[in-house]
Amino acid sequence: MSECDFMRENMPLLLTESLDPARRELTHQHIERCAACSDAWSGYRDTWRLMGDLPEVDVPAGVKARFLATIGEVQQPDRARVVAFRPRPALRWLAQAAGVLLIASGAFYAGHRGAPVQLKQTPATLNAVAAAPFSIAESRVLPANAISPNIEGRPDIQNVSFIDTNPNDPEIGLSFDITSHVTVTGRPTDKSMVRLLRYVLENEDHVSPSRSRAIDWVRATYSRPGNANSEIAGALANVLRNDSHEGVRIKAVETLNRMSSSVSADTREALIQALKSDPNPAVRIKAVEALANLARSGATLDAAAVDTLRQKAVQGDENVYVRVKAAEALSSIHP
Amino acid sequence: MKHLSDQELMRIVQAGDFSPASEIYDRYSSRIYNFAYRFLKNSEAAEDATQEVFVKMLKHANQFHGDAKLSTWLFSITANWCRDYLRKADNKSKDSEDVLVTLPAPAELSPERTLERRENEKRIQKALSVLTPEQREAILLSRYQGLSYAEIAQISGCSEGAVKTRVFRAMETLKKALTGEASGGERCLNAIS
Repeated sequence: MSECDFMRENMPLLLTESLDPARRELTHQHIERCAACSDAWSGYRDTWRLMGDLPEVDVPAGVKARFLATIGEVQQPDRARVVAFRPRPALRWLAQAAGVLLIASGAFYAGHRGAPVQLKQTPATLNAVAAAPFSIAESRVLPANAISPNIEGRPDIQNVSFIDTNPNDPEIGLSFDITSHVTVTGRPTDKSMVRLLRYVLENEDHVSPSRSRAIDWVRATYSRPGNANSEIAGALANVLRNDSHEGVRIKAVETLNRMSSSVSADTREALIQALKSDPNPAVRIKAVEALANLARSGATLDAAAVDTLRQKAVQGDENVYVRVKAAEALSSIHP
Repeated sequence: MKHLSDQELMRIVQAGDFSPASEIYDRYSSRIYNFAYRFLKNSEAAEDATQEVFVKMLKHANQFHGDAKLSTWLFSITANWCRDYLRKADNKSKDSEDVLVTLPAPAELSPERTLERRENEKRIQKALSVLTPEQREAILLSRYQGLSYAEIAQISGCSEGAVKTRVFRAMETLKKALTGEASGGERCLNAIS
């Protein structure tokens, strides 16, 4: 094998920055003094860059359902494990008290003001979110006489406990968890919808299924120009800053890349930080692509962003693809 | 569940509890599907591959050793599935080569850039279909999944040297197809002689 053959076999490894420093240096030195290999190297880089135009394909939604069905875990496995609440004659007083507290749960959904509310086991649709106050809260204490809900069906209640802290006081209480399935409908630009989605994106500890799925939903809707929303972009920026899973961070940047018209200064800052310091090279690559796209779309990048791109374009130990993309972004700003 | 590592999730599965299945699926389905889709050039087969890979993962969970990456193991199952599929499909795969799916381009791109991107996508798909299955497997895992040659060697059941050669040969073919240039080797030999 000639020296040129050997060096050219190293070139794909050079593109992924997988060569050890000594071999990398040797390969670069050879490229500098051999015109033919220099051309070949330039061709590999162009090919590698062009290959980046192959977009990621979304997994059809039915695949997961089929997979879960195959293993016998069809959707909502937790629901199947819930033991339905069955009032017993011996605990009639408890059932009555539970009824009172179900009234309280009505207010839990209706807000402070006691507007009549219906609790159903079947999914409910609230068509006028903005018109009627609707609170989603972790817990709430409500006086029974302040509410008057309708109770429909047999909603499941769990963790029931009776409270009578002071026997001399006529007040009693009943505490319980209630699970309802709520469907909130509206336009993507409705504030309520944006707020809910932002909560779903930013609070993975309290939300299922995964944040990754939530990003898919957001990408499908908010990457359309008419639905551009800086609050959603801000939530994705927070995901990019905080999520420990690189796959999720990559998805967040990809989605931001498709939402360039919604990107605020804070979101740009998140992209710059990711480019500067994200430990995963794929995230840095996606971040520099997003910044390059922003520059192409005419967005103004501040001096700090331009400086970061300049640093990346010449940083010797950075991934080659990141360096090339950073240079491209700079040329978009200063053609 | 979401804060558990891959290894921790697999330990639960190995104990006979399949509740982490959904979380593992969410973490890896996109990468598995995209790899199978680009490898097989067939969306239905890629769907089947994705589903069956995760079912196999559950059935054979005890074969997963905690010292390996879960992604490497899953890609190994996927690559095996895809190779089997190509073997069984034999001539049928030739029919599917022309089925190129063009995705809607991101809305913010200019019409010129959109057109350019679509053209590039078609050219890349076509160029990938010219590669041998071994070369395609290696380049897909290297370029689009960011795996190291050591991981690809583990998945493909060959040496790192063989992976290096496959990726290099793939890049040569792709370079010709995508940039329309003569190979570096030809020019290099011309320069030497």
